[in-house]
Amino acid sequence: MQKQDKIRNFSIIAHIDHGKSTLADRLLEATQSVSTREMEEQLLDNMDIERERGITIKARAVKVKYEAKDGEIYDLNLIDTPGHVDFNYEVSRSLRACEGALLVVDATQGIEAQTLANTYLALENDLEIIPVINKIDLPSADIDGVRGEIEEVIGIPAEDCPAVSAKTGLNIGDVLEKIVTDIPAPKGDVNAPLKALIFDSYYDSYRGVVVYVRVLDGNIRAGEKIRMMNTGAEFEVVEVGYMSAFGLAPAEEISAGEVGYITASIKSVADTRVGDTVTDAENPTAEAFPGFKEALPMVYAGIYPADGAKYPDLRDALEKLQLNDASLVFEPETSIALGFGFRCGFLGLLHMEIIAERLEREFNLDLVTTAPSVIYKVTYKNGEVKYIDNPANYPDPDEIAKAEEPVVKGNIITPVEYVGGIMKLCQERRGIHLDTKYLDQTRVELHYTLPLNEIVYDFFDALKSRTKGYASLDYELDGYKESRLVKLEILLNQEIVDALSFIVHADKAYTRGRKIAEALKENIPRQLFEVPIQAAVGGRVIARETVKAMRKDVLAKCYGGDITRKKKLLEKQKEGKKKMRKLGSVEVPPETFMAVLKLDEE
Amino acid sequence: MDKKLEKLGIYIHIPFCVKKCAYCDFYSICDLSQIDAYVKALIEQIKSYRSERKHYLVETIYIGGGTPSLLSGAQMCEIIRAVYKTFKVSDDAEITMEANPGTLDTEKLAGYHNAGINRLSIGLQSADNAELAMLSRIHTKEDFESSFYLARLEGFENINIDLMYALPGQTRETLFRTIEYVTSLEPEHISFYGLTVEPETPFGQNPELLQKIPDDETQNALYLDAIEKLEHCGFLQYEVSNFAKPGFECKHNLNFWHGKEYLGFGPAAHSIFKGVHFSYAKEFLNFIAFPTDKDTLYQEFEKLDDDALEKQYVMLGFRLKGGIDVKEYNKRFGKDFDEIYFERIKPFLDRNAPEADEPYIIKTKTGYRFSRKGFLLSNELLRKILDDEEE
Repeated sequence: MQKQDKIRNFSIIAHIDHGKSTLADRLLEATQSVSTREMEEQLLDNMDIERERGITIKARAVKVKYEAKDGEIYDLNLIDTPGHVDFNYEVSRSLRACEGALLVVDATQGIEAQTLANTYLALENDLEIIPVINKIDLPSADIDGVRGEIEEVIGIPAEDCPAVSAKTGLNIGDVLEKIVTDIPAPKGDVNAPLKALIFDSYYDSYRGVVVYVRVLDGNIRAGEKIRMMNTGAEFEVVEVGYMSAFGLAPAEEISAGEVGYITASIKSVADTRVGDTVTDAENPTAEAFPGFKEALPMVYAGIYPADGAKYPDLRDALEKLQLNDASLVFEPETSIALGFGFRCGFLGLLHMEIIAERLEREFNLDLVTTAPSVIYKVTYKNGEVKYIDNPANYPDPDEIAKAEEPVVKGNIITPVEYVGGIMKLCQERRGIHLDTKYLDQTRVELHYTLPLNEIVYDFFDALKSRTKGYASLDYELDGYKESRLVKLEILLNQEIVDALSFIVHADKAYTRGRKIAEALKENIPRQLFEVPIQAAVGGRVIARETVKAMRKDVLAKCYGGDITRKKKLLEKQKEGKKKMRKLGSVEVPPETFMAVLKLDEE
Repeated sequence: MDKKLEKLGIYIHIPFCVKKCAYCDFYSICDLSQIDAYVKALIEQIKSYRSERKHYLVETIYIGGGTPSLLSGAQMCEIIRAVYKTFKVSDDAEITMEANPGTLDTEKLAGYHNAGINRLSIGLQSADNAELAMLSRIHTKEDFESSFYLARLEGFENINIDLMYALPGQTRETLFRTIEYVTSLEPEHISFYGLTVEPETPFGQNPELLQKIPDDETQNALYLDAIEKLEHCGFLQYEVSNFAKPGFECKHNLNFWHGKEYLGFGPAAHSIFKGVHFSYAKEFLNFIAFPTDKDTLYQEFEKLDDDALEKQYVMLGFRLKGGIDVKEYNKRFGKDFDEIYFERIKPFLDRNAPEADEPYIIKTKTGYRFSRKGFLLSNELLRKILDDEEE
């Protein structure tokens, strides 16, 4: 057991691409936990998808020993946080497990939306913030400018904050010293009943769930009986220990102030919710750590196997992913167009894309994913209130007394020259402007209230394309708001395709319907017959396109020597068509369902 | 003659060409000094089937290429004699040979006729010399015309002329001039092919030429109008690309489309023989060295099960104007055609093709056939009809 005054618990927060993971690597390397040679690049991010997308999806933690200039040896616990708005709640729990945070700011980019969002989150959690200016090796680095910006915009002193290059390792020692001198040591009560905060967990097929905790008070040992205070689940601890750079390192106990793991033959991460408090089942702490909430899905979409026979495989795959991801919810759903599949709930679009990608990559499934939908709140004329996550279940207009949609508070940071474009975009997306704040001469922070359903599709892409990638976005849910919503239905060959219908604001139904009809026309290959495409609201057709009939597909010559060629041709076509979905008599490539969502003009 | 003899078609490949046409991806070589050795090897391969004499009656022989007319009359005679020595050949056998206008003269034609060739297939492709040059054909319209009349003089009473449409830069005018010219010569048979661009040919790699190919819609219109014209002149369509005066349909190819067996000789030749589909590799030197060592020569060797044979029958049958004879099908495969296929065919019977009154598939007195519009989409239609997972 380490004395608490020799422990420092900290996170690193940063905007995407500002170098958080690289800095983490350098810190580990500098404390010699990992030799450079052995170290996989960006050790903390170890899922493939994370590495490819350059984002950290789930929190990880690692403990290293550091000999400071005062000659003492300190335990440094680095708790990594997800860097995307979809995972805001996880970020806040990770921060709760720390006393301080390194705020990494790119010396060439300055403060971005996520920098601010994460900083506010850190301030809310009373963390000591140490700014770290990164990428000072780049020619365009403006160290003094960024120092000024940090002081002005965030209001924390930055004159002596470390300026480093995580890439080259320059000045990394300064950061380590700052952690020791500036971040407060934890002040838990070792003798109080056990109180530990869960900030992450994952399923391991040998140990069951491995729970990452920050011990606030008391201590924990193998054999003790623990209780999860919010879910009420109880387990007997099998093993406790620390997260070393090389993996789990078992220990006799972990105690107040420390960060470590618990295994207890737990079958599912659903029992170890992030934010829950672990306590001694026999001698519980009086109060759970505040702020626990279940991560609720914000976005729903239908996920179907491209090959209907793979339905059981898809179910197994979703169950396996859920073992590790309590925020993924799903239930069986049937679509007339797509057959058997699942309605899945996600924290956000990124979460959805990651799940879909993991299903395809790790489980080798071909999927058809329908348009994501938010959850609408409908008050029926008989007073009943229902939350509707599937457009197919949206009631007829004459049954509805009041329809509401979720809205978010959006925070966009952009160079001044793009303000006009962004305001236009937000207006198109039914945004309500709240205020505008100049961060400095060149950059502006815009606050908007936006309907969630306007941003789940392609808002982020549109924002990036209209600002050459410079603008950044952060948002949080801000309740429900009454809205004039209608259900837009798409008909192929006179038949309604349930998987293509969705809910839209009445004023946008016409434009949207027209664009979707056009996009479908582009995506649906010619068939043997003409295929009329119609968009309709309440049975009234508001847009119409036609996929012309196929023209020519014939082998001119077919004699004895051509037989193989002919058969191959038919087989090849058959292969190609295999991947098509049949909607009534119309064959549609699976991408169609998502392609119709990319509707931004310009 | 023995009643139990199975009927058989024979295909003989002559892989020599003076020059390879830019659009052609058939197997051919240009080293004409090998012809003697080749003929010898061919004869050896044919004779290796002597043990089959008691089982088969050859009804048709088809000598294709390449350019068979690069062989002398004597060489042709040797080859045909080898077939007669090896197999029983029907008295009224159809013996076709492909010929290239630039390579024919009186002596050769007389030789071929003496060898027993009774049907000549001349590759004209176009009667427009600019189009011929673009296809890198070795002959002109005039060369062709003299070859055609010489053939008539030497006694060939059954002549096919090959034509092509959808050529780069071809217009309705040049195409119809070609058709008018050819019909005026009064051959017995006309093959009328849409140009198929093979990506691996010089032609397929020439974007400038490809760009000049008429678009699909124009091609379709040309095809449909040309059919009208040909039929008006007495050449009745009997297959997607084949037209003949009544009674002069090519028996060899008809047998193939009717699912009868055939035996091929020479590199790149295919066979469907005793329920096995096999082909020889395009390895000229191997063929000359080991003409009877089939294991060395095989490129493909596939035993066709009942299902494969049945599907092949449907696939080929729908190429014919007459389509599928349901009774014949049922008898041959012991199945009920309507039970298997009617549901899949139905949508194309009662729905109209675009911008026309003609459906894709037409019910006949004896079964079903593709309409002209159906021919144009025959691949797609066949896929739908043959795909048992479609329902």
